[in-house]
Amino acid sequence: MDFDNSKPIYLQIVDFFYENILVKRWQEEERIPSVREVAMMVEVNPNTAIRAFNHLQDLEVIYNKRGIGYFVSSNGYTKVLEIKRKEFMEQLLPEVVKKMSLLGITFDELKNAYNQQENEKK
Amino acid sequence: MKQEFNLSRIGLFMRRDLAIYKGTFSTGLLVAIVLIFLFSILNMVWDQQLDLGEFFGIFGLFYIPVGVLFTFSVFREFNNPKSNHLYLALPISIPERLAAKWLLTSVVYTLVFTFLAIIVGTFAVTMGTIVFNADFTLLSFFSEEYWKVVKVYFIIQPLFLVGAITFAKNRIGKTILVLGLLVLGFMLFNFILFGIFNHSYGVFSENSLGSEAISKAGTDFSTIGSWFYGLLFGPLMLVVAYFKMTEKEV
Amino acid sequence: MLTVRHLNFNYPSSRPVLKSINLDFRPGNIYGLFGKNGEGKSTLMKIMTGLLFPKTGDCTLDQVSAKKRSVLGLQHIFLVPEDFELPSLSIATFEKTQSPFYPEFSKEQFYTLIEEFKLYPTEVISKLSFGQKKKVLIAFGIATNTKVLLMDEPTNGLDIPSKSQFRKVMASTVDETKCVVISTHQVRDLHSLINHVVILDNARVVFDYALGIVSERLWFGKPSNSDEPSILYSESSFGGKAILPRMGNNETEVDLELLFNGVLSEPHKINTILKNTHDETGV
Repeated sequence: MDFDNSKPIYLQIVDFFYENILVKRWQEEERIPSVREVAMMVEVNPNTAIRAFNHLQDLEVIYNKRGIGYFVSSNGYTKVLEIKRKEFMEQLLPEVVKKMSLLGITFDELKNAYNQQENEKK
Repeated sequence: MKQEFNLSRIGLFMRRDLAIYKGTFSTGLLVAIVLIFLFSILNMVWDQQLDLGEFFGIFGLFYIPVGVLFTFSVFREFNNPKSNHLYLALPISIPERLAAKWLLTSVVYTLVFTFLAIIVGTFAVTMGTIVFNADFTLLSFFSEEYWKVVKVYFIIQPLFLVGAITFAKNRIGKTILVLGLLVLGFMLFNFILFGIFNHSYGVFSENSLGSEAISKAGTDFSTIGSWFYGLLFGPLMLVVAYFKMTEKEV
Repeated sequence: MLTVRHLNFNYPSSRPVLKSINLDFRPGNIYGLFGKNGEGKSTLMKIMTGLLFPKTGDCTLDQVSAKKRSVLGLQHIFLVPEDFELPSLSIATFEKTQSPFYPEFSKEQFYTLIEEFKLYPTEVISKLSFGQKKKVLIAFGIATNTKVLLMDEPTNGLDIPSKSQFRKVMASTVDETKCVVISTHQVRDLHSLINHVVILDNARVVFDYALGIVSERLWFGKPSNSDEPSILYSESSFGGKAILPRMGNNETEVDLELLFNGVLSEPHKINTILKNTHDETGV
């Protein structure tokens, strides 16, 4: 895993979890890799990995079955979706809006570009 | 103390040394054995016999130098600043290290060397009996000649052990120099003692007695002296080796 | 666990290499020991292993002094030096003759690591490249399962894929019972592994903090103009990054290289801010 230098590594690991859950690679109620496995996978100090697990547990995205391991919560997908949507609205969008006004891009222009991209996908 | 002196660790350490210096040991032994064989044969060509004195003379000629060589070689790792971290950081105490090195280069070495030499010697004698019509001699290490050689080795070997630990370069040369100086020192010491004890008898009144004193001192050195020094010198050197090993750094 | 107290060291007739060093290494952590070349990192590691004797002061592992070189002490510490030679044995023979001295040694782990490093037990060590020899010793060191594992510039001589292998291996071996100390000047190779930084400069410890505390109190990144007065340290290069007090800002990843340079040029400013955190949080 290549790390972005500014964001704390544990949050980058959290993002890695979110992505796996959003693309349904990790299903709800499914066991996810252990702390050690994750630490190995992303080549980080196990303490950093533990911090990521704790963060996700606090947000109730994952839970711990004692002695067995960590699992995605039954409503894990919805939780992640909620978190990521909030993040988009509160962090990414303001940035985009700021850039738009800086570059003089109107909302209509954006809408056209958006539709065009959606059509291309189809 | 039990933690710091463990026989199985000594065994393991000897096994480790044997594995590391396998090449040196086998080459050294092979060369020595071949030469003992050739010398024995030559000796029988010369006078149609190989008595015990002659054989153990040849034996000593190789047994002692090869032993000294091995003593120096087992400290190669110890003296190499690039490899001695592995030696120094190994969880084994100094008494165990010393015991293992000493056992390997004196007891084990002597057993192996004697065994091989007797076999090769018997083989040479048998061949000599058949080919050159030489007298047959039964080579046995229950002979005075053998034990004399072994005794000499056991007395001087600890000094070479100390030399191998102390000097980093030209170890053998420096140790032999020290040995020479020690022998000279002992001779002088005995000479002076002899002079003091016999002063009242007017030893020095005649010039000829000076040389007699030296020969007397020599005799002393080989009788009571050798007993005294032999019993004391070896252990003393091992103690020196212990302290030298303790203060060794990378 | 591993404690260094009032340690002084100098080589015969040379300037002091280590001056009144006090350090505590605790289990469950990977320590990064940084310093310019010749600042005594290797010397400190050798003293901790009992390979060198301190002039004054002491270094103890669970109350056992390193300079005694007792079996009990040595069984719990392993050093992978920067530059070394190994006996010319096969990897398997090396393991067989060397491992019985370490009570916690795991054969299985050793051969798994050897395989992971793409080596074969039958290979003769003296015929391997330096990087491969290093892997053999690293694998052995990890498999000894000593309480303390010291590694001096472990990534020196490793190629890029091997460095990644090394990080994976390290990430999988550390647990709450072990303490790893890695000295390096290649900060980039290891920044994701280390969680506590010790910096040596001018023979002294000038920095000794867990990265958790650093990221709690300091902010790393490109400063805006309004930040100018509070900058603790900035790189002179164009658009340079800087270290600032974090205040209410988002947590950033600790930029170890920047931190190292910052500590060397502004040790007091940076230490003062971190020290205050210490007091406030009672850590």
